[in-house]
Amino acid sequence: MKVVPLRPKTTRSRRAAPPRTDRDLRARLRTLEADLERAKAKADHPEGLLVTLARFAHAGTRGLSWASLARLQSALYFAWHSEEVDEFGSDRRFTETLQPLFEFLYTVWWRVETAGIEHVPAEGPGLVVVNHSGVLPYDGLMVKLAIRQEHPARRDCRMLALDMFALLPVLAPLLAKSGSVRANPENGERLLEKHELVGVFPEGVKGVGKYFRERYKLARFGRGGFVRIALRTGAPIIPCAVVGAEEIHPMIAKADWIGRPLGFPYFPITPTFPALGPLGLVPLPTKWSIDFADPMDVSSYGPEAAEDPILVNRLSEEVRSVIQRMIDGRLARRRSIWFG
Amino acid sequence: MGRIAVTGTSSFLGSRILRRLVDARGADAVVTVDIAAPPAALGGVRHQMLDLTLPGADQRLVDVLQDEEVDTVVHAAFFTSPRRDSSYGHELESIGTLHLVAAAAAAGVRHLVMRSYTAVYGARGQNPNFLTEDRRPDPNPSLGWVRDKLEAEQHALAFAKRYPSMGVTILRFATILGSGLHTFYSRILAKRVVPVVFGYDPLVQLLHPEDALAALEAALAKGPCGIVNVVPRDVLSLLTALHLAEKVTVPVPHPAAYALADLAWTSGIGAAPAGFVDYARFLFVADGEKAKRELGWTASYRSRDALGAYLAYRYPEKADPLHEAEA
Repeated sequence: MKVVPLRPKTTRSRRAAPPRTDRDLRARLRTLEADLERAKAKADHPEGLLVTLARFAHAGTRGLSWASLARLQSALYFAWHSEEVDEFGSDRRFTETLQPLFEFLYTVWWRVETAGIEHVPAEGPGLVVVNHSGVLPYDGLMVKLAIRQEHPARRDCRMLALDMFALLPVLAPLLAKSGSVRANPENGERLLEKHELVGVFPEGVKGVGKYFRERYKLARFGRGGFVRIALRTGAPIIPCAVVGAEEIHPMIAKADWIGRPLGFPYFPITPTFPALGPLGLVPLPTKWSIDFADPMDVSSYGPEAAEDPILVNRLSEEVRSVIQRMIDGRLARRRSIWFG
Repeated sequence: MGRIAVTGTSSFLGSRILRRLVDARGADAVVTVDIAAPPAALGGVRHQMLDLTLPGADQRLVDVLQDEEVDTVVHAAFFTSPRRDSSYGHELESIGTLHLVAAAAAAGVRHLVMRSYTAVYGARGQNPNFLTEDRRPDPNPSLGWVRDKLEAEQHALAFAKRYPSMGVTILRFATILGSGLHTFYSRILAKRVVPVVFGYDPLVQLLHPEDALAALEAALAKGPCGIVNVVPRDVLSLLTALHLAEKVTVPVPHPAAYALADLAWTSGIGAAPAGFVDYARFLFVADGEKAKRELGWTASYRSRDALGAYLAYRYPEKADPLHEAEA
């Protein structure tokens, strides 16, 4: 007769042998404490993207469920977004993620040369007025970066983005999360009242969507809305000229019949786009310069001057001519588009 | 001091404010005007059965308000979620409010506090980041749900202008999310998979119910203030909210999104008609300065607290739902 054991015979357990001495007990306690610390650290700092991806790959399709898919999506999202944004939707982590790319464009690709950065006020409100060009709004990013990197106060300049960019799918959240705000008087005034530095492109679509043959001729400065918000808030106007951005996407024609149905104000045809496909979206490596001029103090006119169209037009024209002069000066000294 | 009449006592805000008023001022100081009786637990609250949608409701209401010596009305009879039967929504919200304000003005009511929504501004690409109370509302014309609320506001403002003895406060609440709340937002958040509009991630405001009630109480204490936005302390991006809630998001390009939403709504699957796609694309963030200035009230919760409160209520098994997302 065979005796059937009540409990299956266990092979030698891999777990630590029951502690015998005081010293063993102490050692066991230490390992347990270390385990606890590790578990606590893991709970405090949730695992990052790589670990989640690895876990996902390891599980394969066996582990596929709505819950795991949701977890993967959320890990992918929070890998480059933070959980909180400021009141205008600027996301610090998102900006930090894209920063290396922008810095590469700034220092290596376009070798931006900045002059007159000392004219940007170190504190208080300020309205930086910039010429617009280059089909895609890279100039805004570069002006923002110039003030961030070169100014001793490392100020953050909030750019007011045109509707055509601020309402376009993909570009809309991208701009908002990197600190841009949709261009309208309410937003501009609100930012200036909070003593922020604000960047505007009064030329608007007419500037950024210029043909190559019209390069460096400033378009009309809207209806002077930027002067009005400066008058109302008493913020100084700092004219700023970007040279080099006009040549990054030389637009030789516009195909409106493609652009309009898609909601774009224009569909650019450049020597490389759309002929080279997505490769045509790579901007040309021209040499850039960004010049800032003396701030214009408009606070002496008082906020009610914003209702005076003649004064608004005059100031607007004055800013325009300062920028045009800075551009012309740079162009006269420039010997090469690529090397400056 | 006269009594406070409360309408819409079956709605979330109506039932909660009723409870608070009964606790603070005693059951005798409050009268409910609704088609349904208040819960028995509130024993002793005076109730007047009245259907605001019936013709002649305003005449009966004048008698009721005068008999009960009402000097303040809290009007909360609004639908939080869009209804397929849009004509009843119109009758109750627009016409019902017209009946109510006409009766209130005739009965010498001093203060009318009305519940409204920041959604009445409409989500538009042209909106500034912060909508102030003087901004002209411009909602999607296809949304009856929003249009009726806007009409109700206009009736109240027109009567307040015509009869200056009656002051109105219109509280435009941001999207309320919290425990015990069942709206179409919470129904969408209760699903595993949530469709989003491809390439858009607007900022949203989620209001904690505690904040909403505190603002309502502040408005009752303060007196007529006109239109006031009631918003949380901060904003949250829509995708952040959905990912914190651990939802699978499915991006749909916007030209297709409207058609699909329409199809889903008409076939009975969708939670909201196509016009609501606007609210997943564009901003309708309201500014809370006036509430601070005039009511002396500021929110004590952030948008993510409201989201956390809702998730804790919906998924009680998760200890800390907001951090579960990354654990």
